[in-house]
Amino acid sequence: MRVDGTLAILDRWGRAALPGTVLLFFVLLTLAPLRAPYLSDTLPLLPVLVVFQFSLAAPERLPGPLLLAMGILLDLLLGGPGAPVGVSALGFVLVRAAVMSNRRYLVGVPFLFQWAGFCILCWGFVALVWAFTTLWTWALIDPVPAILQYVVVVVIYPLIAPLLARVRARDPLNVPELSRGSARPGETTP
Amino acid sequence: MAIRDDFEVVASQVRTVVQRFALGLLVIAAFGAMLVGKADTVLVEHARVLALDVVSPVLEAIARPVAYANRAIADLREFASLREENARLREENARLLAWQTAARRLENENEGLRSLARFREGPEASFITARLVGDSVSAYMRGALLNVGRRVGVAPGQAVVTGEGLAGRIAEVGENSSRVLFVTDVNSRLPVLVERTRERAILAGDNSPRLRLTLLPSIAGVQTGDRIITSGHGGSFPVGIPVGEVVETSDGSVRVRPFTDFSRLEFVRVVDYGVTGLVGTGAAAPAPATPPGGTAVRSR
Repeated sequence: MRVDGTLAILDRWGRAALPGTVLLFFVLLTLAPLRAPYLSDTLPLLPVLVVFQFSLAAPERLPGPLLLAMGILLDLLLGGPGAPVGVSALGFVLVRAAVMSNRRYLVGVPFLFQWAGFCILCWGFVALVWAFTTLWTWALIDPVPAILQYVVVVVIYPLIAPLLARVRARDPLNVPELSRGSARPGETTP
Repeated sequence: MAIRDDFEVVASQVRTVVQRFALGLLVIAAFGAMLVGKADTVLVEHARVLALDVVSPVLEAIARPVAYANRAIADLREFASLREENARLREENARLLAWQTAARRLENENEGLRSLARFREGPEASFITARLVGDSVSAYMRGALLNVGRRVGVAPGQAVVTGEGLAGRIAEVGENSSRVLFVTDVNSRLPVLVERTRERAILAGDNSPRLRLTLLPSIAGVQTGDRIITSGHGGSFPVGIPVGEVVETSDGSVRVRPFTDFSRLEFVRVVDYGVTGLVGTGAAAPAPATPPGGTAVRSR
């Protein structure tokens, strides 16, 4: 049931805009001059965490074209001379697609499973960006900093993910089709 | 009526197709962006600069509280070691005073000799002070964003210095923002001199905290502790800005530690030396052939 009234409308708008705003904030945070050792090196990977977590919790509020735009913005802001523009966008879109097609293994399962899923998908993202940057600049880039980034972001995942997971719709019976796990009662996974 | 029904049928079919191939379309769009970036570097450069200009006020708002917090933490840490620090500084002060005397004497002597030899000075350098509003550090890039741009006279290729020494050079310039590429970046090539022997070399970054000295005529002449300064070749950098000191000379490779502490940069100065023409516009249009000892980025 939809309730009309200024507050209700504001509430709906706020809910719809929240994931995109949080993602934009994390993209900007990537450039913030934090001086914390290790943490500041991993900032570029935090948007991946946001994309993963929101694709789990509220994919209908984080549509693909928005991810494309955010990825290109991230590449424009971060990239140096010669770095490919759009590789993060490609990564974001693929992470979302991977989460969407594996919902039955990721939604409504213990936290450890989600963490493992993030480990796998984030590894794919890092490998993709590294491979494309290497191809694009046609120079062998030392993969160790990228791997360090990956390790740190995987380690801090349990700190940030539960916070982001709170954007889920309040009533579990009333969630939109997209946000539900695809497993049906009584169904067993092959 | 029939036409309208047909239209609706077609529209719904299109919608189904778009939904079914949404992922494919997005992937193609991402590849398209990459290809455009490869084909039209100038367009991408404009987009970068625009994005920087839009974002830099926001970043500045974020950067201030972060800077205060960092300073507070640094203050606390220094408070703990105040006594030793004082003793060390007193010692250093005594040593520096001796150097000052020597420098004064040499300056006078130098002036005298110059007037005797009718030596013509190079162009006078002026400085633009800037605040670091953003880091541009990732696994593939070492740089930062500054809150000054074309409006106050910043141009690509200008040197960026701190109190300790050279930090990098300006790579991209917007109206009110610019991006500096640190000397530690993998794209950075800097013509330098070994101060003691006056030998020319190229100082190259590789994204690690240490720099590599390459194209040196003879490695044997370099010792640990030698200071490395800019040579001024390429035109846009003043001569003699300290860059770093040699910390390691082993089988064919010389490693240099930069004087600038990149982890705690807050304010920098952009050196406007008057001549930037020789280097071109940096990343936007890399020179097809790198000028001898130039600082242009790797040509593509």
